[in-house]
Amino acid sequence: MLNLELVVLATLLGGVVAYLLSMINKRVGSAVTILVSGAVFSLLAYYGFGNSIDQTVELIPNFVMFKVTALGTFFAVLVSFVFFMVSFFNPFFAERYKYPNAFNLLYLMTLAGVVGVFYASNFITLFVFFELVVWTSMFLIPMGKGTKASITYFVFSTVGSFAMLYAIIFMAVGFGTTDIDTVLAGLTGTAALIVYGLLLVASFAKLGAYPFMVWLPKVLGNAPDPVSAVFSGGIEKMGAFIAVLAMIKISPASAMFEAVGLPVQNYIVGVIAAVTIIVGTMMAIRQDDAKKLLAYSSAANGGYILLAFTIGNSVAITGGFFHIFAHALASTAAFLAIGVVTYRTKTSKISELGGMIHHMPITYVVYLAAIISMAGIPPMGGFISKWLIFQALIQNNLVFLATAAFIGSIGSFLYVFRPLAALFLGQKLPKYKDVKEAPLLMLIPMIILTLLSVVAGVFPTLFLPMINNIMTELGFQTLMTSGFQIIGFNGTLDPALVAAVFGTGVLVVFILFMIFPKSRKVGLMDTYTGGEFIYTEELLHYSADFYAPLERLYRKEPFVNKIYDSIRIKVEELGAFVRYFFFTNKPEVTVFWIVAILLFIVWGDII
Amino acid sequence: MILGILAGLGIALFGFTLQSSVAGINRKVVARVQKRYGPPWYQEFLDIFKGLSKRGVTHGWIFDFGVIMAVGGIIATAMFMPITSNIAAFSGLDNFFIFVYLLAVGMLGMAMSASGSGNPLASIGVMRALTQMFAYEVPFLVIVMTIIKVTGTSSLVEIMAYQGQNGWFMWTMPLGFVVASISLLGMLGKKPFETFIAPAELASGPMVEYGGKHLGLLFIMMEISHFIEVSLFVHLFLGGATTIVGYLIKYFLVYTAANLYSYLNGRFKIDQVVVFFYKWILPLAVLQAVWVLWR
Repeated sequence: MLNLELVVLATLLGGVVAYLLSMINKRVGSAVTILVSGAVFSLLAYYGFGNSIDQTVELIPNFVMFKVTALGTFFAVLVSFVFFMVSFFNPFFAERYKYPNAFNLLYLMTLAGVVGVFYASNFITLFVFFELVVWTSMFLIPMGKGTKASITYFVFSTVGSFAMLYAIIFMAVGFGTTDIDTVLAGLTGTAALIVYGLLLVASFAKLGAYPFMVWLPKVLGNAPDPVSAVFSGGIEKMGAFIAVLAMIKISPASAMFEAVGLPVQNYIVGVIAAVTIIVGTMMAIRQDDAKKLLAYSSAANGGYILLAFTIGNSVAITGGFFHIFAHALASTAAFLAIGVVTYRTKTSKISELGGMIHHMPITYVVYLAAIISMAGIPPMGGFISKWLIFQALIQNNLVFLATAAFIGSIGSFLYVFRPLAALFLGQKLPKYKDVKEAPLLMLIPMIILTLLSVVAGVFPTLFLPMINNIMTELGFQTLMTSGFQIIGFNGTLDPALVAAVFGTGVLVVFILFMIFPKSRKVGLMDTYTGGEFIYTEELLHYSADFYAPLERLYRKEPFVNKIYDSIRIKVEELGAFVRYFFFTNKPEVTVFWIVAILLFIVWGDII
Repeated sequence: MILGILAGLGIALFGFTLQSSVAGINRKVVARVQKRYGPPWYQEFLDIFKGLSKRGVTHGWIFDFGVIMAVGGIIATAMFMPITSNIAAFSGLDNFFIFVYLLAVGMLGMAMSASGSGNPLASIGVMRALTQMFAYEVPFLVIVMTIIKVTGTSSLVEIMAYQGQNGWFMWTMPLGFVVASISLLGMLGKKPFETFIAPAELASGPMVEYGGKHLGLLFIMMEISHFIEVSLFVHLFLGGATTIVGYLIKYFLVYTAANLYSYLNGRFKIDQVVVFFYKWILPLAVLQAVWVLWR
C-alpha cells in the first residue's frame, strides 16, 4: 500500500531537500528533482494501476481529504510523468536561473500540488491544492525572460480561482458539505447550471479556452523552457480535470438542441471550444516565436478536449481522454525539442534560426514525431484521438463544430511545419556552426516520449485499459475493440495495420531508392537560384514571415485583447486614484483627509 | 495480412500504371485541342524511367529520407484504396480518414525533403501547397462528413453500395458535388489552383531542386496521389464501380474533364485561393451539410 498523504508530504520535503542541496551545488539540487519526481511517478503508476493506494489522512490538518479514483490516477500518473520527463532538463538550466534553489523547491511543490488536486475528495482540498499550484508555478515563470508574464498568469488564474471559490461557497451553503461526489450528484435545476458555469470558467482559465487564451502564449513564451513544457503537458491538464468534473459529473437538465441531440449548455461550451480551436490555430500559424506557436497550439488542443467532453457519449469521452494523453506526450516532447534549441542557441525565434537538423538530428526526429502526433497523422497517438473525436462529431450532426475541428486539424499541418521548415531545415546558418546536439541526459526523456507516442499510435489498445477504468467509474460504456482494432460509430480502425502498411510502403521505396544510381552529394548553397549569384546563407534562407500571404488576410488582433487592454487601463487608473488619495505625502491630500475625518466625526455628533 | 499487403502493393502498382497512362492520353487530348500532334501515350513512363536511371544530386540525408517517406506514405495510402466494390486489399478497413491523414504523411515527407534542400523557392512552394491545402481540404471534409453521416459508414465500399441503392451523391447532393469538384481541382493542383507549382514564377516550387532518381520517385508519388484523389471522387460521388470497366470509364472521364477544364483557366494568387474557398465554397459545403443533416 502507498499512502497518498505521505507522497504529497514527501514531495514537499523533497523540495526542501533540493533547496538546501542547491545551495551547495546547483546540479545536485536539480538531480533531486529528477529523483523525487521519478519516484512520485513510478509509485503512483505502480500502486495506482494496482488499485492499492491508501487514502487515509493523519498528518495534514483534517480538512484535507483524499479519495483515490481512476480519474485521479489517470491524471496524476500522466502529469507526474510529464514532470519526471521534464526534470531531466533541470540540471542543465540550473545555471541560467537567478535562484536555482528556489526553482527546484517550487518545481516539486507544484508537483505536490498537482497530485493533491487530482486526488482531492472535497472541494476545500481541491481548492487549497489548486492554489498551491497557482502560487508556486507563478514564481517559476519569471525565472525566464521577465516578470510581466507572471502577472498575466496570476490575473487569469485569479479569475479561474474566484469562479471556483464562488462555486464552492455556493455548494457549501446549499448542501452543508463540500464532498465532491455528494455535491455534484445532488445538484439540480438552476443551482446545477450555476455551478456548471462557474466550474467551467475555472476550467477555461486553466486550459486557455478562447476568452482566456491570452495568458498561454505570454507565459509559455517567456517562461524557462522546462517550465513551458510542464505547463503545456501537465499543469494545463488541470483545466481538463475540472472540465470533467463540470461537464460529466454534473448534468444540468435543460432544453435540448434537437438537431444535434445535445443539451443547449453543452452546445454553447462546444461553440466556445470551436472558437478556441479556430483562434488558437490561426494565431499559431502567424507566430514567429516557436514557443508561442506551440503555446497557441496547446490552447487549440485544449479546445479539442473540451469539444470531446461536450458531446458526451462514450466514444467522444474516450477520445477526449486519449487526446489528453497523446497531447501531453507530444507537446511535452515538442517543447523539450525547442528547449534544446534555445539551450544551445539562446533564441527560439524561427526567423533567427535555420538548419538545426545538421547540428541536432535526434532533436529533429523528436520534434518531427511530436508534430506528426499533434497534427493527428498516423502512426502517432494524436491520430487515434482525433479519429475518435471526429467519429462523435459526425454521429451527432455537429456541422459547425466539425467544420471548426477540420479547420483546426488542417491548420495544424501549417503551424507545425513552420518551425520544421525554417528552424530545423533550410540553410545551415554560419553563426550557429558550433552548435552541438543536446547532452545525453536531455535526449533520454525526449526519446522516451517519442517512443511512447509511437506506441500509443500503433497499439492504442495497450493504453485503453486506464481510460476504460475511468469510463466504468463515470458510468459510461467502454470503447469497443477487437484485437488491436478500434470500433467507432461508422467504421473500424486498425492502427497496427496502418503502421504495418506504412512500413511496407517505406521499405519498398527504400529498396527502389537503393537500386537506382547513387546520387552525388552537393552542399546546401549549391542550389538553383535562377541565374542570381548569392553567396550568403541568410539570403537563401526562407524563414521570416513564413505564411505571409495567409497572414495578410487576418492582420487584425482578435478583439478580446482590446477589451483586456481597456480593463488593464481602468485598473491602472483605479490604482493611480488609490495611490493619490491613500499613499501620498502631498499636503493638500493630508488636509483633505483631516477635514473629511473631522466632518465625519462631527456628522456622527449631529445625528 | 501478408496477402492483404501484397494485394495492396498490386493496387498501388495498378494505380500508378493507370494514372500514368491516363495522364499520357490526356497530354495527347490536350495537344489535339491545341492543334498539336502531342507526345505518345506512354510519355509519362518514359519521363519517369529517364529520371530513375540518371545520376542526380542530393543535399543531405533529410533530402533523401523525405523522398522515401513521401513515396512510401503515398504507396501505403494507395494500398487501402478499393478499385471496385469487389477489389480491395483490406475490406472493411478502407476508412475515409485514413486516406486524408495517411496522404498527409506523404505530403509531409515531400515538404520536409523540399525544405531540406535549402532552396528558398522550394520552401515558398511548400508554404503555398500547405496554404492551398488549408483552403480546399476543409470544404471537402465537410461534404464527406455529410456523406458518412447519411450512409452511416466511412468505408468506401459501403458508401458505393449505398449509392447503388439510393442514387449517386452527384444527384442527391448537387451542391456537395460542386464543392468536391472544385476541391478536386485544388487537390490535383490543376489551374486555377496550381499556385504551388507555378513554373514561371517559382521554378516548379517544391520540385525545384530534384533531379535523377529523386525526381523519378516524386513523379511516381504524384501519379499515385492523383490516382488516390480521383478514385476517392469517383467512389464518393459517382457511385463507385462494380466492374473494372465501369471504373476505368468513370476514372478517365473525371480526370479528363478536370484536365480540360484546367486549360481554360489562368492561375489564382495564393491568397485569392484561400479567399475563394472560404468565401464561396465553404459556405456552400456547410449549407449542403445543414440542408441534409438538420432537416
